Amino acid sequence: MRGYLDTLKVIVVIALRNLFASRLKTLIVGGIVLFGSMLVVVGTALVDSFDAAMSRSIIGSVAGHIQVYSATSKDELAVMGSMGMEEPDIAVIDDFAALKRACMTVANVKEVVPMGLASAIVVAGNTVDVVLEELRAAVRAKLAGEDVRETYEAEKDHVRQIVSVLAGDLDNVRKIQSEAAVAPEEIEAVARASSPGFWDDLERDPLPALEFLENRIAPLASDADMLFLRYLGTDPVAYQRAFDRVKIVEGTPIPPGQRGFLFTQGMYEEQVKLKVALRLDKIRKGIAGRGRTIAKDPELQAWIRRNTAEVNEVLLQLDGRKTRLFRDKLQKELGSGEADVAKLLTEFFRVDDGNFERRYRFFYDELAPSLQLYRVRVGDPLTIKSFTKGGYVQSVRLKVYGTFVLEGLEDSHIAGHTNLMDLVSFRELYGFVTPEREQELRELRAAAGLAEVSRENAEAELFGRKDEGASGGGRPADADAALRELAGKSAREDRFAQPYDPAELQRGEVLNAAVIVKDPRRIRETIAQIEAAGARAGLPLRAVNWQKAAGLVGQFVTMIRGVLYVSVLIIFAVALVIINNALVMATLGRVPEIGTLRAVGAQRRFLLGMLLVESLAVGVLFGGLGAMLGAAIVGGLHAWGIPAVNEKLSFFFSGPRLHPTLGLGNVALALIIVFLVSAVSSIYPGLLAMRVNPRQAMQTDE
Amino acid sequence: MKHIVSVKEVHKNYVLGTVAVPALRGVSLEVTEGEFLAIAGPSGSGKTTLLNLIGCVDTPSAGSVDVAGSPTGSMSERDLTRLRLHTIGFIFQSFNLVSVLSVMQNIELPLLLQRSASARERRHRVEALLDRVGIREYARHRPSELSGGQRQRVAIARALITRPQLVLADEPTANLDSVTGTNILDLMKELNRTEKTTFIFSTHDARVWAYANSVVRLADGKILDRVSAEEAVRAASVPGARSS
Repeated sequence: MRGYLDTLKVIVVIALRNLFASRLKTLIVGGIVLFGSMLVVVGTALVDSFDAAMSRSIIGSVAGHIQVYSATSKDELAVMGSMGMEEPDIAVIDDFAALKRACMTVANVKEVVPMGLASAIVVAGNTVDVVLEELRAAVRAKLAGEDVRETYEAEKDHVRQIVSVLAGDLDNVRKIQSEAAVAPEEIEAVARASSPGFWDDLERDPLPALEFLENRIAPLASDADMLFLRYLGTDPVAYQRAFDRVKIVEGTPIPPGQRGFLFTQGMYEEQVKLKVALRLDKIRKGIAGRGRTIAKDPELQAWIRRNTAEVNEVLLQLDGRKTRLFRDKLQKELGSGEADVAKLLTEFFRVDDGNFERRYRFFYDELAPSLQLYRVRVGDPLTIKSFTKGGYVQSVRLKVYGTFVLEGLEDSHIAGHTNLMDLVSFRELYGFVTPEREQELRELRAAAGLAEVSRENAEAELFGRKDEGASGGGRPADADAALRELAGKSAREDRFAQPYDPAELQRGEVLNAAVIVKDPRRIRETIAQIEAAGARAGLPLRAVNWQKAAGLVGQFVTMIRGVLYVSVLIIFAVALVIINNALVMATLGRVPEIGTLRAVGAQRRFLLGMLLVESLAVGVLFGGLGAMLGAAIVGGLHAWGIPAVNEKLSFFFSGPRLHPTLGLGNVALALIIVFLVSAVSSIYPGLLAMRVNPRQAMQTDE
Repeated sequence: MKHIVSVKEVHKNYVLGTVAVPALRGVSLEVTEGEFLAIAGPSGSGKTTLLNLIGCVDTPSAGSVDVAGSPTGSMSERDLTRLRLHTIGFIFQSFNLVSVLSVMQNIELPLLLQRSASARERRHRVEALLDRVGIREYARHRPSELSGGQRQRVAIARALITRPQLVLADEPTANLDSVTGTNILDLMKELNRTEKTTFIFSTHDARVWAYANSVVRLADGKILDRVSAEEAVRAASVPGARSS
């Protein structure tokens, strides 16, 4: 043994001294190995940290550890959304209870949360609609003899203010574009609504005037927003229990047994908030959080330009009293004598780095309390219309209970834009017939006198009896009255405000379910066990891990890992070729030495070992240095954190900063790759050396 | 006396392109243990080829070569290497030292390849040989820091460190000046006498034949004769003699 060690020692000495003798070559080869090794350590540590962070985001927001859905589905589930805006075609599982029972037979399953994902476009009413509704209520009260003079006058003032803003808008359009850009009937409508005579008419005969305002003036105000809502129908209580990152920001959770809707805070801010206020928030975030300046940042400048151009959004909310209030406050704040509130607002929103913070505070302290900052307020009802799978329009009217965030993912659109809805409403919107809907249909059928007609007896049933009408048998004479009664009942009782039996959540249809496991390291085997349990229960289930369930988003890390590995492959392929070439050159230059070693009794494996050690010495030395350097870089990045410069990154980083961590595996992988590359690159030179005949050491000038 | 080398009817052809060039043509030679044999002949006469065959670094096209009783023709590459390591020492014309090793490490190298001697024994033997060849003070020097004669002394020490039965020296004085060459031959002769090691060396320099017990004269791949050193020197001094 000792003899072997001594031989190894001489091999190492020869190898190291050869390396030292060709310093430049060693440094070039070593530099490449060092860089490659560093890249592997930093790259894999980053990707692993990225992977871990993203898994926290995906698992903690909507996917859970495993997603289960019907194996008969046409598409693959994509809980974070797919490339297109359409939701994937997922087959319905009729009975969540059966699915849950099957899943819970698997020992590693901790919780099963029913789910369904869909999206809808919601039109949030514009300011004019809201104001006109309030004016109509005041008119009704006035006609009923109530003393609402003050409210009535305030609402009337507000509408007149809106009309004057619209008139100004039309003027601007005519000046900026052309006369032809505005339709004559629009000019005529605004002119009529601006005339004192119109308001006198309103006093005398309010209903036709109100109708005119609703039909001719309201459509001219284009501040209505289309909200694109993606929502998750679930058992709200189970969801909050399983996904503990959920935190209510405003309002309350959806109470058990109640229908309701929760906006994600991000969506609520981004889409529901007054746009000028949202832009002020964004500018402040850009300045305070990311160190940007208005003077240098084109994006901040663009937001400011849009705020100054879109003051109408604020103006439309101002009635006479608020207009005077805003004028006074803005004149004082700006030190201006300007009487036009539109001009004052434009001036106010034209901020710079010097006055931004003051104006931001002024806006929220002085102006915002008089404005409706959000189009839909917590506590308001929200009507969501959606096309069912069969192509019919369904709508639900749900109370907005509040807003929520997923902690750490507050800024992320990807994770933070899936709103929550109770599963019962989701089923209805999706087109399933819920027990409540069934009851309603039964009542409708009974009221209309409809009866089941079999295909075979249809003719006889429908037309056979001469004493009955063509609409079928059994329609009572007072059907119309019954239907009217039912409609009245429906109007009086908002069924969406009625509680439902929480047991309904457990027994109806679902599209998919999130499974939370006890031991996340055993996801793969748990997936197989769930599918097997489904098969045993006669449910064809497909179970996928969080990464697959997330769709394209989940593949992102795989893609980055792929890019990294290709880069590493290229670098080490280059390193391999260079080390190989360097060793070949060295071998060819050392033929007499190798021949001498062979002549004096060195076996071929000694030579192979010599070159291998030479190559490995470079690999281990420089690869080790590279790994250490990489570890230091990762350590630095861990301490400082990589900032998520945009909302996408905040999802992938699972928070505002990524603090990458170094695993033993990252260093081990780098060293293994370096070791393999070094070993492989010495094979060909080794073969060359083994072919050297000792005779070549003996050659003379014969 | 026992034969350490027995060469019988050896032919060796080298192939150049499609042409077979004969280097040795039916050479037979026996070398007795303890001999100090010179192989003489002009360039291209086949001296080095014969040494290669005896040194087991080449194989004959025909005939047989036995070294220390081992028939080399039937031995594997690995066994031939082992035979070289344990039985034969080599001294090269260009010294062929490992440039990145010190004098001591160069001398120690064959012992390390043998893996039989302990570190202490290796050290003892290396130091003894350093003393014998007179380069003790250069033990830690690199070959590049030595003169030609000193390098050849290192090469001789390396050849003898394993206590081989046979030392082959290919033109050992060719790259040395005459005084240094004479010193080296004196040293080889001294070692031959005291260690009873058999030396076979090739040379085309007639002045060094005088050191040999006998001289084998080669020409055109054939042995012309085997004569005593005196006869060889005498023949070389006669004008028109064949050996150079």
